[in-house]
Amino acid sequence: MRTFRQIRPILAALRSHKTAVILLVLEIALTMAILGNLVFIVYGTLQRSHTPTGVAESQIGVIQSIGVIGQTNSGTAISNLAVLRDVPGVQDATFGMPPLWGRPQNPLFLDALRTRPAAHVYEFFGSQGLGDTLGLHVVSGSDFTDADAPDVMDVFMGKAIAPIPALLTESLAKRLYPNGNALGSIFYDGSHSLRVIGLVDHLRGEITGSTSDDDSLIYEFRVGTQNLGGTYMIRSSNAAQLPQVLRAAAAALQKANPGHVNNKVFTMAEMRANYFKSDLAAGRMLVAIILILLVVTALGVSGLASFWVQQRRRQIGMRRALGATRRDILHYFQAENFLIVSAGVLLGVAFAYALNLFLMRHFELARLPVNYLLAGAVVLWLLGQLAVLGPALRAAAVPPVVATRSV
Amino acid sequence: MFGYYLDLALRSLRRHKVLSALMMLAIALGIGASITMLTVLHNLSGNPLPQRSGVLFHPQVDPRPADLPGASEEPPDDLTYLDAVKLYHLGVAPRRAVMSANWLPTRLDAPDSPMSMRTDRATTADFFAMFDVPFVYGSAWSARDDESHAQVVVLSQALNQKLFGGADSVGKTLVIATKTFRVVGVIGDWNPQPRFYDVDDGAFADAEQMYLPFFTWLDLPQDYGYGPMNCWGNDPGAGTHDPKVKQCTWAQFWVELGSSAQVASYRSALKQYSAQQHQLGRFQRAPNVRLRGLLDWLDYKHVIPVTVRMQTWIAFGVLLICLVNTVGLMVAKFLRKSGEIGVRRALGASRHDVFAQCLVEAGVIGVAGGLLGLPLAWIGLWMVRQQPVSFAASAHLDLAMLGVALLLALLSTLGAGIWPAWRASRVAPALQVKSL
Repeated sequence: MRTFRQIRPILAALRSHKTAVILLVLEIALTMAILGNLVFIVYGTLQRSHTPTGVAESQIGVIQSIGVIGQTNSGTAISNLAVLRDVPGVQDATFGMPPLWGRPQNPLFLDALRTRPAAHVYEFFGSQGLGDTLGLHVVSGSDFTDADAPDVMDVFMGKAIAPIPALLTESLAKRLYPNGNALGSIFYDGSHSLRVIGLVDHLRGEITGSTSDDDSLIYEFRVGTQNLGGTYMIRSSNAAQLPQVLRAAAAALQKANPGHVNNKVFTMAEMRANYFKSDLAAGRMLVAIILILLVVTALGVSGLASFWVQQRRRQIGMRRALGATRRDILHYFQAENFLIVSAGVLLGVAFAYALNLFLMRHFELARLPVNYLLAGAVVLWLLGQLAVLGPALRAAAVPPVVATRSV
Repeated sequence: MFGYYLDLALRSLRRHKVLSALMMLAIALGIGASITMLTVLHNLSGNPLPQRSGVLFHPQVDPRPADLPGASEEPPDDLTYLDAVKLYHLGVAPRRAVMSANWLPTRLDAPDSPMSMRTDRATTADFFAMFDVPFVYGSAWSARDDESHAQVVVLSQALNQKLFGGADSVGKTLVIATKTFRVVGVIGDWNPQPRFYDVDDGAFADAEQMYLPFFTWLDLPQDYGYGPMNCWGNDPGAGTHDPKVKQCTWAQFWVELGSSAQVASYRSALKQYSAQQHQLGRFQRAPNVRLRGLLDWLDYKHVIPVTVRMQTWIAFGVLLICLVNTVGLMVAKFLRKSGEIGVRRALGASRHDVFAQCLVEAGVIGVAGGLLGLPLAWIGLWMVRQQPVSFAASAHLDLAMLGVALLLALLSTLGAGIWPAWRASRVAPALQVKSL
């Protein structure tokens, strides 16, 4: 309570240091604005880097086996899948590409004339076993059956006649069919008609942080004796053994395909690390900037506080002589700091939103949620108290006898 | 007088060690952060080919259909196969190069040599002269090689090192996409950044490993992608396996024009070509051409990564906070000297003198902060270089940036010092002297 009673004298004292107080408030407000937005950006990056794609990432390995056109090759798509499945530890294998592969978002249409795109989606397609290799979770409808899958050449040539059975993510189903009648519906991409046979919980093509990341569809085709070069995936039954299993699978695939170049072999974990490495590196730079900001602000607060303490030594001595305890003096400076930081935080909220608007316009940042500002305020209050502690303790140590000197 | 003020400033700094150190540290941190990002920005926005940028131009035409929802006013960056061939044979520019990029299975011309995918640029003979590409061994192929679809290849130094141990490989043969190619040249260290001639394929990407004649490359049995291909229509995937389709652009095209007269005549030739294609019904749109110079082209493409631009803004925000901080501390510092200033004023110093003295002190703090900031910027750039991003390797402090750093430190601190100094010069001498 005693601290609160000090507020009026504190305000009166601050009025005689208007300039310094205004500058300090401004500094804290600017720090708050930048801090809030930076933490938001860094946290967003971290959150993105942990967003799951919806597939069994820890078990999946990718083998890029590029077919050399004009070179004879003994392996066929169906024999390659058999070779991969025969490798000990391989649970499933497919010819198809994993998430985070740099897919474009292709237009989807609800009418056969393709007048207006209803959504732009990531299209996953691959040989029989694609859904099982990825480890999708079908939440309604049914999973793929090999018998219904169209032939690969019909799909590639755009000649598939019957609608291709496809699974949609729940997110895409909601976008295309807000009334919930997705199952059994027919829709169209650029060259095929497709039929919804079921929904999966999640399948993200890319992780950009946008809500459309999870708008994906997936279908399987049947491969046979074609010589297919491209991307094969395996799923190891045991995540811990994936690196060894993948190496063995790549070697087996290369042996069966002397006319292919085994260009790249990597696990999805490696792929994810690679996908986010520059974002995370930029995040580390921002963390460095955040630290610099906090240090500079702390320096400013404690610098001005120690100046004030020095300037008011005589007044402090008088207060002590008139009966104020050390604790009173300590609390005085702490309360003063709290008031200044609070003013800075209030102004900082406005600055933070202004900066956020600027970043939204120029750098496609999302709107700053209010809890970042609350966190920023708490951090600045703590920082202010920490910075003022030294000078305030020094003030509390001023002996009453100072009052009697040089009067 | 300056010498005396400098002496006073140094004395004052020594008297208030902590406050001075705080100010210098704050300036140093602000300068360190902003110079780090400025250096990165400076390196990224430099002229990739200073000796040639004035004469290189990037022609664009617009073959898109008239109704394309959401289409920009700007014509596509690259050309379709048909436009690439026709513009290549237009013959108005003294030099021109059509090009694209992909990767091709490549091996030594020996029975058991393993294949690897190697990045390549398919282009025409003028490429090397236009872009000032240095040769270590051999030379570029000739225009006649382009015409005759000769199977010749120019290697980068790095690939020559990998395949031939760095020896003179001119005359040796390689098997590229199952065809035999003869090495005619090995180029030296050459990778202009930003890689202006194909920014859509990565403005700060590594240079390609080998160079093949464009028309020979098109003949190859291949389907390994055709650069950053863009197709229009409802099915973006349609035609991506056939470079000759009419709805996909993928060929970059550059011309060399030595004078403004040549630029003007080329521009009108480009318009005439578009008008003619429009009349023939192949172009649905009225002539919509561009002929940007190299630097204009880089400007238009915004090659500087968005994260770098953002970090630069943020770094300057940090500098601003450091300066506000410095203004605050300086106000405090000069206020503390009120007594001293009062005496000086009473002894006859003018307001102007006091103002100048305070500014000199601010300047000293600025220079000291700047000097302290340089090692911080050096550490910052070291951190940038540790980043696994393609542009990071080029981030180095050069002499010009050192100068900029010190100047920025001095000017910003002087700017920050003006107001505190002005306040200090307003100190009423009588009041101060009385209270002594």
